[in-house]
Formats: sequence, structure tokens, C-alpha cells
Amino acid sequence: MPTYKVSIVIPGSNNPGAIINMDERPLPGQQIRLEKEDFLIVEVQELLPPRNDFHFLHVTCRPAQAAG
Amino acid sequence: MQDLETLKSVELFSGLEADELQKIAALLEERNYAPDEIIVKQGSPRDKLYIITEGLVEVSVEKPSGDGQHSVVKLGKGQTVGEMSLVDQGSRSATVRAISDPTKVLAVNQQVFSELCNQDARIGYIVMKNIAADLSFRLRQRHLSDWRE
Repeated sequence: MPTYKVSIVIPGSNNPGAIINMDERPLPGQQIRLEKEDFLIVEVQELLPPRNDFHFLHVTCRPAQAAG
Repeated sequence: MQDLETLKSVELFSGLEADELQKIAALLEERNYAPDEIIVKQGSPRDKLYIITEGLVEVSVEKPSGDGQHSVVKLGKGQTVGEMSLVDQGSRSATVRAISDPTKVLAVNQQVFSELCNQDARIGYIVMKNIAADLSFRLRQRHLSDWRE
């Protein structure tokens, strides 16, 4: 089963971002919860080529309440 | 002993065979932390390597001014804490604090784990290669997050 190692950044936020493993590939438009805050995924990029069962992604988010 | 499926989802052990994972599983102990509980403190001696299996932790460093902490990144499921000092033998480079309820980790004594890596060269080579890849990933994440402020 693939594992998605995901780098998350939130431009314009004081949130330092996160690195987490996910069981499913994140997609733009989805919401993601970090601690107690919800974020909207704006963009997903492949950060590095896959290795073994691991995929390496970079996700840009913005706060969900600012999504409009 | 830990579920091998859990270990397979940890990049640190990616590429290891089932019998090799079993050797590592025998060394691991489960630990639970409450929110705000310190897992490791910056500057303290190295002792354990931690693998986050549930929840989030915050990695922070002391501001150069000595006035509080600067949050660097949050780490979640599958990420490791303490791998830098496994390589460079240095003291803790950052403070790591549990921020979710629950926060669950697997802990392994660094000296015991180093001995396994020395005794079994294939395990040692793969683990060290994975640590290098993880540090590279974190550096890339850091570069991409630098423009957030």
C-alpha cells in the first residue's frame, strides 16, 4: 500500500507547516486538519520521485475560513 | 512487539525485509504523551529515537535572543525525531513537544539501535540512507516554507 509523505506549507501564515504521512494522495480542494485548524489544499506537487512504497509530495494550503 | 505493517509505513525502515523489521520491532517501546508534554528538550543529551505513530508534535528552537521559542515545523504520523543525533552524536538540536491528544510514539534507545545498525550492515546501510533522504526532504520543506512570513 502506498504511503504519501507530505510537506505542508501555509503561505502568509505564522503556522510553520508540517510533514505527515497520509494513506491517500491529497488533492486540491480537499480540507486538511492540523491540530485544531482546518486548511484548504490549493496545490499539490511531487517533491521527489517515488521510492519503494513512498511518494513524496508538497502541498500548499490556506486557512479554510479564508477560502471564500 | 510492534505490528510490522506499522513499521512498513515508516520511511526510516523503507526497503527492509520482514525479518529485519522484526529485529527492530523487538527494540521498540510504545509511549503516550499528553498535549504540551515535552518529548525531547533542546540541548539535552541524545538518548532515544522516536517514531510518531499518532498525533502531532511541534519542533521548536530557542530564539537567538533567548526570548522564547521559534516554531520550526510540526511532524505527524510516520515521522521521526532524534535521527540527527543518531548520525552526528550531538545533543538535541530542538525541543519537541506533543500538541495533540493523543500523541503516540515508538521509542528506541539510540545506543541499542546503533549497535544493531553496526552488527547488521544491510540494516545499517538502509537506515542511514533513509535518514539522509529524510533530512533532505525536511531541508526542501524548509526552503519551500521560508517565504511564508
